[in-house]
Amino acid sequence: MNILGAVVTFLLAFVVGMTYGGLNRKITARIQNRKGPPFYQNFIDAFKLASKKSAIHHGAMHHLGPAFLMVSSVVTLMIVPVLTHSQWFPNLNFQGDLIFLLYIMTFGPLGMALGAGQTGNPNSAIGVTRGLSQMVGFEIPWVMALVAIMIQYHTTSITGLMAAQAQSGTWLMFSSPFAFIAAILAMLGMFGYSPFDVVIAPAELASGPASENGGKYLFTMMSSGSVFAFVKLTLYVDLFLGGADNIIMLLIKTFALYMIPVLYSNTSVRYRTEQSIRWFWGWPTFFGLLAILQAVIF
Amino acid sequence: MNELKEVIIKRIKANFADAAERNDFKDNRLDIAVKKETIPSILFYLKDEMGFIHLSDIICVDWLEEGELEVVFILWSPVDKIKVFVRTRLDRDNPVMDNVDMIWRQANTYEREMREMFGVQFTGLVAPDEFILEDWQGPPPFRRDFDTAAYAEKTFWQRPGREDAQDVRETIAKRDGEEIPDFAKKYSR
Amino acid sequence: MNDKNSQKIVDIIQNWARKHSIWVLAYGTGCGAIEIPPTMTSRYDAERLGVRGAATPRQADVLLISGYLTVKTIKRVIRVYEQMQDPKYVIGFGSCTINGGMYYDSYNTINVLDRYLPVDVYINGCMPRPEAVLSGFAQLQKRIAAGRATGAQHYKENLEWYRANQKKIIPNWVMPDYNW
Repeated sequence: MNILGAVVTFLLAFVVGMTYGGLNRKITARIQNRKGPPFYQNFIDAFKLASKKSAIHHGAMHHLGPAFLMVSSVVTLMIVPVLTHSQWFPNLNFQGDLIFLLYIMTFGPLGMALGAGQTGNPNSAIGVTRGLSQMVGFEIPWVMALVAIMIQYHTTSITGLMAAQAQSGTWLMFSSPFAFIAAILAMLGMFGYSPFDVVIAPAELASGPASENGGKYLFTMMSSGSVFAFVKLTLYVDLFLGGADNIIMLLIKTFALYMIPVLYSNTSVRYRTEQSIRWFWGWPTFFGLLAILQAVIF
Repeated sequence: MNELKEVIIKRIKANFADAAERNDFKDNRLDIAVKKETIPSILFYLKDEMGFIHLSDIICVDWLEEGELEVVFILWSPVDKIKVFVRTRLDRDNPVMDNVDMIWRQANTYEREMREMFGVQFTGLVAPDEFILEDWQGPPPFRRDFDTAAYAEKTFWQRPGREDAQDVRETIAKRDGEEIPDFAKKYSR
Repeated sequence: MNDKNSQKIVDIIQNWARKHSIWVLAYGTGCGAIEIPPTMTSRYDAERLGVRGAATPRQADVLLISGYLTVKTIKRVIRVYEQMQDPKYVIGFGSCTINGGMYYDSYNTINVLDRYLPVDVYINGCMPRPEAVLSGFAQLQKRIAAGRATGAQHYKENLEWYRANQKKIIPNWVMPDYNW
């Protein structure tokens, strides 16, 4: 039962993540006054990449780079509870899994960095250093927000927080608003859309870490990116929006949250790395500090 | 403007004996011809003491019938707003000249181009051999006795069919069985 | 028999996916590259066909040779073409790739692209308008669906002929051998 549940969870995350990516392209196109690709375009891209006949790699570490990304996404997916009460989805939660989550979310990009370093392409190396520096930027308000809500509710597990929300009847969004604001501002950095897309930067940097990966490696990176997006959105829904009881509510809540990075990305220009780090250590850190103060005092 | 030009011509002729004035054809242009040995000194003089501080261009003219190559320096004075053309003639079989990029640094690029395209050698020029054409092994291509079309015919494979030179639009319309609309018929040959 | 039929069905599905998602390498070789940005942006939107720009040759499907190729450029273009992964296509853009265009008698530009790289679709014009570019992409889609866009295979099979042509115009041959 549990293995079947895990496979079903993975397929749901893959399908929903890819559809959200396609919807991102469609909404961006409509904002730019043109018709965009159909919403299932990401599936076609993934299928085309998977059916490339040759796969060129530069060594064992480069071959394993996308595998690290996929491992990180899948492990995070297994930890985060997708629906609140369900028999189908695996519940591997334990006490303290929020801290474990913080660690495992950074494991993927670090593994990718090792893989990109073996190619010897200077574009990959520059993209990887920029990406890791930016991660230093947004981790600060993200960790502050999580620490604030962990202090406020005296629990370090996701299911504990969901139970606290069900018990008190209000969502965490309203009872610790500063933590919510800091977490949302950190989410803009996690997704890697504009203005924090200096890592990917297609015209400037030949797409950073992905510049030597083509064919099946790119397919793995794209899929793990979609799964990871779904995982992040579900995590936010569980922590701040009271979880979801059935699939329809989950899709509505994650889509509403997904609109925040998508719409913000269409109206902003790209920041340089030092500008984005300076922005993250400004207002989002301020809200994080307010959140910790509110958790400690009230 | 004419008095200013007279003053400039008189000063140049006083300092350099072999400066010959050529016909000028516009208000703010001057034209002097010198021998190639006096080129560095006259350029220094024009830049430092006469105010022609801007080098606009260095070009080369191929006088095939007379068997000479002519190098022209175009200088501009932003204060007086006068352009001066300084010309020298070089022998076509052995075109050697002095290098002037200690006066203006951008002369380095112009001289490299002339060395590659016309074959003019500048003594003392320090620059990589290849400029624009990679792996070029033929004669200098900008000279007038270099037949570009024959060279292209010999080196690169041409697609047959250029000889009859049909009108593209009419041929495609005939091939596909379409009709050219009325408003476009007046552009047919 | 079962093998051949299932292979055909797999081919049909794969060709459908390949024709609706074409990634063009963002490399403008000649003056025809000025017609690419209008095709990719809002007015003559090429993204509704699934066409988008790719950053590196490893991620791209289509190499768009937009205009004339000099001897200096063709060395780099051959390297880029051999770095791309199968299945790959080449689109010859503008009349300079067909018969030399307006530079047919120049000492430095090649005249017929088909002798040095395998071309799948030609788009004629000088430069072709964005509507012509979109119709060229539609033509490439039809060829992919019919299974006739086999330029890369032709290159692999006739490699000696292509290499002989390339070495004739490039005197200083410094390219490594790529494995595919």
